[in-house]
Amino acid sequence: MHFLYFDPGLGAMIVQAIVAAVAGVVLFSKGLMYKIKTLLGFSKNQEDDMFDDIEIKDQDTENK
Amino acid sequence: MVVDNSKHASSFRDPSGYIFTEEGVIKRAIFPIYFKQYNALTTSGFFDSLFKNKLLIPHSEITNAVDKIVIQPENISFITYPYEWSFNMYKEAALLTLKLQKYSLEKGFTLKDATAFNVAFHEGKAIFIDTLSFDFYQENTPWRAYKQFITHFLAPLVLAHYHGAQSLKLMSNFIDGIPIKMLASMLPFKTKMNPFLYSNIHLLAKFEDKHNEDYKGESKASVLSKKGQLNIIQSLYDYIKKLTLKEHSEWGNYYDKTNYSNDAFVQKSAIIDTWIENIKAKTLIDVGGNDGTFVRKINTNLEQALVCDIDNNAVDFNYKTIKENKESFITPFVLDVLNPSAAIGFQNTERDSFINRMKDFAPDVTLALAVIHHMSLSGNVTFDMSAKFFASFSKHLVIEFPKRNDSWVQRLLNSKVDFKDHFNWYALENFETAYTTYFEVIEKKPIANSERVMYLLKPKHVK
Repeated sequence: MHFLYFDPGLGAMIVQAIVAAVAGVVLFSKGLMYKIKTLLGFSKNQEDDMFDDIEIKDQDTENK
Repeated sequence: MVVDNSKHASSFRDPSGYIFTEEGVIKRAIFPIYFKQYNALTTSGFFDSLFKNKLLIPHSEITNAVDKIVIQPENISFITYPYEWSFNMYKEAALLTLKLQKYSLEKGFTLKDATAFNVAFHEGKAIFIDTLSFDFYQENTPWRAYKQFITHFLAPLVLAHYHGAQSLKLMSNFIDGIPIKMLASMLPFKTKMNPFLYSNIHLLAKFEDKHNEDYKGESKASVLSKKGQLNIIQSLYDYIKKLTLKEHSEWGNYYDKTNYSNDAFVQKSAIIDTWIENIKAKTLIDVGGNDGTFVRKINTNLEQALVCDIDNNAVDFNYKTIKENKESFITPFVLDVLNPSAAIGFQNTERDSFINRMKDFAPDVTLALAVIHHMSLSGNVTFDMSAKFFASFSKHLVIEFPKRNDSWVQRLLNSKVDFKDHFNWYALENFETAYTTYFEVIEKKPIANSERVMYLLKPKHVK
């Protein structure tokens, strides 16, 4: 099933549980800060980013 | 035993299939071991969706037999490598990989590897080129390619942030990513205070160090929920998207600094434009092309224009302009003409040299504008050497020669101090003597009110 043609790194596999936990906390607190800022009216207008969001749309991109 | 020479030299790691060339066309063979994945990716519409979003190179199925499926991906006429990307190009490649992993997870798949060499630039965008990188996701397993992503993408980008864009060049030496322990040691102490960098780099380095002698596989395989993995992917995406360079772009006002009067500038681009039209060029390379200014002044419709420069910032500026204008015909990349990318990897064949890629690309015309004085005076490259170099891959050469009295030439000469006399050979007559050994002069035009002369040349061996 898995083709072990390169070493994923045992430490790297184990550490991901911790990395994910840290990421969870960071994402949660950033989301919270964003909500607070929006509530207080501090939120900046969305900048004109060079790169878009992480989401990929299914199918409906014909007119893009 | 029959030796199959058509198999691509970089395609040997993944047992799912391999890339080969048939009558000059790149194709990909898929083995039965990958049929289940391939069929699932095809019938579920996964591939189609990525094609439509221009994230994965489109392919069509050529043959489908019990022992082998052959697909033909859309052709990419010039491949650039990670060590030739500018900072924001590198960022786009990293973000593309993360995007694909997130989408894969949502659809029950996962990227089984995450090397930077899986990404190429095509029609002004980063595009994923390894169609066989997708595998089935197994619930609660960590991302196998996580470490590879860190060493191939996060490492060079974070180093570029702290130490400058030249750090990206490290990838030409570390073909499988920057060693994690070295990366951790190169980052400033304060990065240990940052939870994101601490966990993704310093802690990873520690864990890798601790477990690298577990040959018996005694440590338990770890468990990670899909939500947990998505958190990792999202936080990597957020961090990389915001990452910037500390250095200033030198090129923002480059053309204000040069000794061109506005008139001479217009004249120069008019000369180039006319010559390109006369020789009906469709493909070109601009060596030392800065931010692509002169290529954009060409009115002829070009199919593809490679624009390379030694300065990462200039290339990055060009790349940003491509994004803003949504241009698809320019391929920017970083290249030091005095030390062009070498062939690297096993048997020195996995990643091709610049010279070889140029010979395959065979541009209709090479532009060498305001570059000969740098090659000659900064690089000590003789006229004979540079003429031979340009003649080796160009069907036509448009070259600009700044005469000895040009202020930029004077500046370079003055910086040589006592050694200045050594460069007495830098003169128009010597330039013409050397270049006419390799080229015939089709046209020669001085730029009025400047110390510069333009030449349209054709190599003598090209009939």
